[in-house]
Amino acid sequence: MEDHLSEKSGISGFFSNFGTAVAKGDWAVKLTLLWWGAGYARRKQFVKALIMTALEAGVIAFTFLFAMQYVPKFGTLGTVQAEQVFNMATMKSEWNDYDNSFLILLFSLFSFVVWAAAIVVWMRNVVNVYRLQLQAEAGRHVNSFPEDLRTYLDEKFHVTLLSLPVLGVVVFTIIPILLLILVAFTNYDQQHMPPTNLFSWVGLNNFISLFGGGVTANFGYAFARVLGWTLVWALFSTLTTYIGGIFMSLLLNSKMVKWPKLWRTLFMVTIAVPQFVSLLLMRNFFSNGGIMNTICADIGLTGFLRDIGLISTSYIPFLSANGWAHVMIILINIWIGVPYQMLIATGVLMNLPGDQLESARIDGANPYQTFRHITMPYMLFVTGPALVTDFVKNINNFNVIYLLTQDVFTTTNQAMANAQAREVDLLTTWLFTLTQDYYNYKMASVIGIMIFVICAVFTLIAFNFMIRGDKEEGYQ
Amino acid sequence: MKMKKILALVLAAVMALALVACGGSGNNSGNSGSSGGDAQNSQNDQSGAGSQDPDTSGGAAGETISLTLWGAEEDQALLVDLVEKFKAAYSDQTFDIKIGVESESTAKDTILTDIEAAADVFAFANDQIDDLIAAGALLPISGDMDAVLQNYAGKSLEDIKSANSAATVALATRNDTLYAFPMGGGNNYFLYYDSTRVTDEQAQTWDGLLEAANAAGSKMGMTLNSGWYNASFFLGAGFTTALNADGSTVVDWNGTSSKGITGVQVVQGMQAIAANPGFLPIADGDISNQINAGNVCAVISGTWDAEAAQKAFGDGYAAAKLPTFTCAGQQVQMGCFSGGKLIGVNAYAKNSGWAVLLAEFLTNEESQVARFNARQQAPSNINAAADPAVEANVAIAASAAQDAYGVVQSVGGKYWDPAKSFGEQIAQGTIASDDASIQAALDSLVEGITAPVG
Amino acid sequence: MSSKKVVRKVLFNLLIAFLALFWLIPIVWLVCTSFSADSGMNTSTFLPRAWSAVHYAKLLQSDTVNQFGTWFLNTFKIACITCLVSTFFVLMVAYATSVMRFKMRKPLMNIAVILNLFPGMLAMIAVYFTLKTFNLTNSHIGLILVYSASSGLGYLIAKGFFDTVPRSLCEAARLDGCNEALIFLNVVLPMSKPIIVYTVISSFLTPWMDFVYSKMILNAGISENYTVAVGLYRMLDRSLINTYFTQFCCGGVLVSIPISILYIIMQKFYVEGITNGAVKG
Repeated sequence: MEDHLSEKSGISGFFSNFGTAVAKGDWAVKLTLLWWGAGYARRKQFVKALIMTALEAGVIAFTFLFAMQYVPKFGTLGTVQAEQVFNMATMKSEWNDYDNSFLILLFSLFSFVVWAAAIVVWMRNVVNVYRLQLQAEAGRHVNSFPEDLRTYLDEKFHVTLLSLPVLGVVVFTIIPILLLILVAFTNYDQQHMPPTNLFSWVGLNNFISLFGGGVTANFGYAFARVLGWTLVWALFSTLTTYIGGIFMSLLLNSKMVKWPKLWRTLFMVTIAVPQFVSLLLMRNFFSNGGIMNTICADIGLTGFLRDIGLISTSYIPFLSANGWAHVMIILINIWIGVPYQMLIATGVLMNLPGDQLESARIDGANPYQTFRHITMPYMLFVTGPALVTDFVKNINNFNVIYLLTQDVFTTTNQAMANAQAREVDLLTTWLFTLTQDYYNYKMASVIGIMIFVICAVFTLIAFNFMIRGDKEEGYQ
Repeated sequence: MKMKKILALVLAAVMALALVACGGSGNNSGNSGSSGGDAQNSQNDQSGAGSQDPDTSGGAAGETISLTLWGAEEDQALLVDLVEKFKAAYSDQTFDIKIGVESESTAKDTILTDIEAAADVFAFANDQIDDLIAAGALLPISGDMDAVLQNYAGKSLEDIKSANSAATVALATRNDTLYAFPMGGGNNYFLYYDSTRVTDEQAQTWDGLLEAANAAGSKMGMTLNSGWYNASFFLGAGFTTALNADGSTVVDWNGTSSKGITGVQVVQGMQAIAANPGFLPIADGDISNQINAGNVCAVISGTWDAEAAQKAFGDGYAAAKLPTFTCAGQQVQMGCFSGGKLIGVNAYAKNSGWAVLLAEFLTNEESQVARFNARQQAPSNINAAADPAVEANVAIAASAAQDAYGVVQSVGGKYWDPAKSFGEQIAQGTIASDDASIQAALDSLVEGITAPVG
Repeated sequence: MSSKKVVRKVLFNLLIAFLALFWLIPIVWLVCTSFSADSGMNTSTFLPRAWSAVHYAKLLQSDTVNQFGTWFLNTFKIACITCLVSTFFVLMVAYATSVMRFKMRKPLMNIAVILNLFPGMLAMIAVYFTLKTFNLTNSHIGLILVYSASSGLGYLIAKGFFDTVPRSLCEAARLDGCNEALIFLNVVLPMSKPIIVYTVISSFLTPWMDFVYSKMILNAGISENYTVAVGLYRMLDRSLINTYFTQFCCGGVLVSIPISILYIIMQKFYVEGITNGAVKG
């Protein structure tokens, strides 16, 4: 083993550095394994020594004051049922120290994340202390505390930039997601709802019941149907609004337009109305007894459609029948989404490389050719990643479907209904129904994982394809 | 507990500093952002741990009793009054009662998401009681609570049961235990009609109603795509539902009822109605709008639409029990799930004794009278219901008349979606009218409803 | 100008006018309905049967159901803080991933992609209990955290924009002795007004639009704590819709006005602010 630390990246480099530090470090480095501040104290970096000591104390305090209440029960998810005794003197209910399976799961997970972070900090700390030792032995300059701080505005500025956003994502996205992945392996449903009831681990049972047929055959069927529509919806809603947005921004940026600002403003007003207002209005507008139906009946459209056999009811089921509702949802989504996309497209088009447009014009290219060979590739490059995320966002687009079809659309497919699904449901709205109305968290989690697996493979390929090959620097 | 919090705060501040220092002299600090961040989490957890500890402060006497109460939005002003009266009735105690808004029809959703955070006392519609009991959210009113009622309110559990109508007490009772206090009856549905366009005789039968609607160029409206409404046909024909202990539902609608009518015949009767041009299927929740818009001359709804119907039908405003429908060559009276509004006490309420007393107070005779005066809601209290003003109320009288054909709602969570879809299929006419198709549709319906829970 | 060109121009503008009309129909309906004299919904005619501004007056006077003024202030407060935090987060992440190069860059970006694949609705219950652990349910801070804490994940559009900023400018600044922080603040940010505007607008809007999370987190039923979205959504409760539908529309209009103004001001900003020559360089 060598004295110097490897510059190898990745996990192996991290561990080999730690090994080197432990093996070759002096007594202070070795003491740092136990007392995090030791190495800094030895190099007279007392501020850092103090900070690391406090951090260590914090982790220890966390472990004993908090984590140990929950982690030991992680294996069983709790065994003590809630019981209460009424105390006539105080008129209060007195509870035993009961277990709450959900909180055990959540707080154990928190503890695991904190401990994982603590181990990483502990190992890095040892390596850093060893690095200090090497620097001191070589007689090189050891950074003072203010100098260290300054690096966080320069070569380590990304740490400064990313710390808070990453912390937010860990607490509000990663931990909840991990938690619900775990729930997929438990029997957390309406029969096992904390705090009154406990739930426990059931292994792969939920996955088996999704695919195993039998009494839950409806679930597998509904899953396939809902997944199909989810993908169709995501594809159409993404493409229509994307193309519509570029089209509209080109229209509005054309030199032929009078008062472009006025028009753009008018379109943007439609975004200003909150979706739950505009979509709920739309829902009433197109409801079976709504204004649109009154108008269609008055002009004879309803009668005509009935004559040619397109509808069998006395109204046009814009949002309440299969097929009709699917088309209407995508149309209404164009209304909602295009102004947004126009906003983005306009911003991007402003950045269009002017010299290329100029030379194209000198070469005698017509507007279509300019669009085809300069504008469009540029748009695709800048908004390409956004297109992929838009697709994913649409897969999880809750608002449009929920607000337009909730209480309005009723499935006529008994097998779907038996699985609490509807033909217009996206996976996320179905999950929402399963959790909100049926408290079927375990199946919701299983379905969430399935959709994730399907999307993840697809998206990572698309995304890597787009940003690979150093295309990033291409336009810089 | 306070010390713990302060300690946690101090540590958190120190850790924020540590974030800067950790990995200070390294040059490959790629992920120290995230690791430092996680370390900071741990501190927050700890302050969380502090707040998790149950609040054990305070003894019995002279202490302020804090309670939370949820009621419907329309009831807020009334509840403020009643709570003041409650405080006056128990003036030897100091109360801190917070009133929150929670719709009676959706109370269950909010409560079951987090029972411990839900209000101590809440109003809800009776259809949610089974789910609430299964989740252990309702404090049984028995034993100790009977003693509390006798000591403080001066009435026993038996007094309360006998003061309210047997039907509403049954709504709140499971396995001989009372789980909530009846607050009002009449949470069922019946027929509103415009007597200038529909004669009282026509209002007795679907055939008459549809005939009148066609003659008036108007519609007879009903919600078909809801298991709550469309069950009325099956219940009327003598079919039943039952609830198993595990929360699953038993139905016999694909067989033959005690009255010798088959499920297929009931569906054929429903199909005949749905196919009539005078019939308007109304989406669940859209009934008020349709009444308001003047699209119907008769409609099936409940007391909550009394005001809308009164406005739309004007002088012709009338209400009656549900009509009969033609089925297997005879006239069959439609049934219904009888319903009511209840006030329950959260099983996890800290001041459970006082919560029970508040719930009792909000449902006693005086409070129910006040509630009728303010909101025209049918009382469940026998004395309050006997008030001439209540008896003169057209909607409440119709609701009570229909209640004679009501059964206690005993269906589990798996009932609603299949039944809703079935109603929609009839409304849209997607089930063929031959016996075999109907039987297949019914079998599928029953399979969905009776599926095991979970 | 030839007459053919004039005809084309007229047709072109007519097309835009037609599109604008199509887009505005629901807005017009919203505004008209809000001036209806009826309190319930009107399903028989496009325009109200009788006109009146009485529901605006009612909306602005609080009653037990409606406390629009308070809701509006609540939402405004939440939106401002959310907007500030989210905008910083998004720009920070975008700068770090676009301009800077460090070892964890690619892995972090891949993790972000993966996280975006999970349905947010599924995590809702866990987020609720996380907030409850910190005693932040029924508090506006909790809502702000929900709206802004994970906003860093939405960095991709801003990153795509930063990618178009010429690296030569950054290099030049570095030679002048600027550190990364100064390059971020003095070189890249001033060139990025359009994307800042976009980020500000979209994050400012979240609290006005969201009713699912706010309904879940503000679950104590205390009306003064509501945001506009929860408050207005509750007006559509089955038992209230007949009395409050027109007030709901009024609320929708009143919410839209400040947001529209924001858009109009910001639009001017980004149309004018981007004309610097650097991009073309």
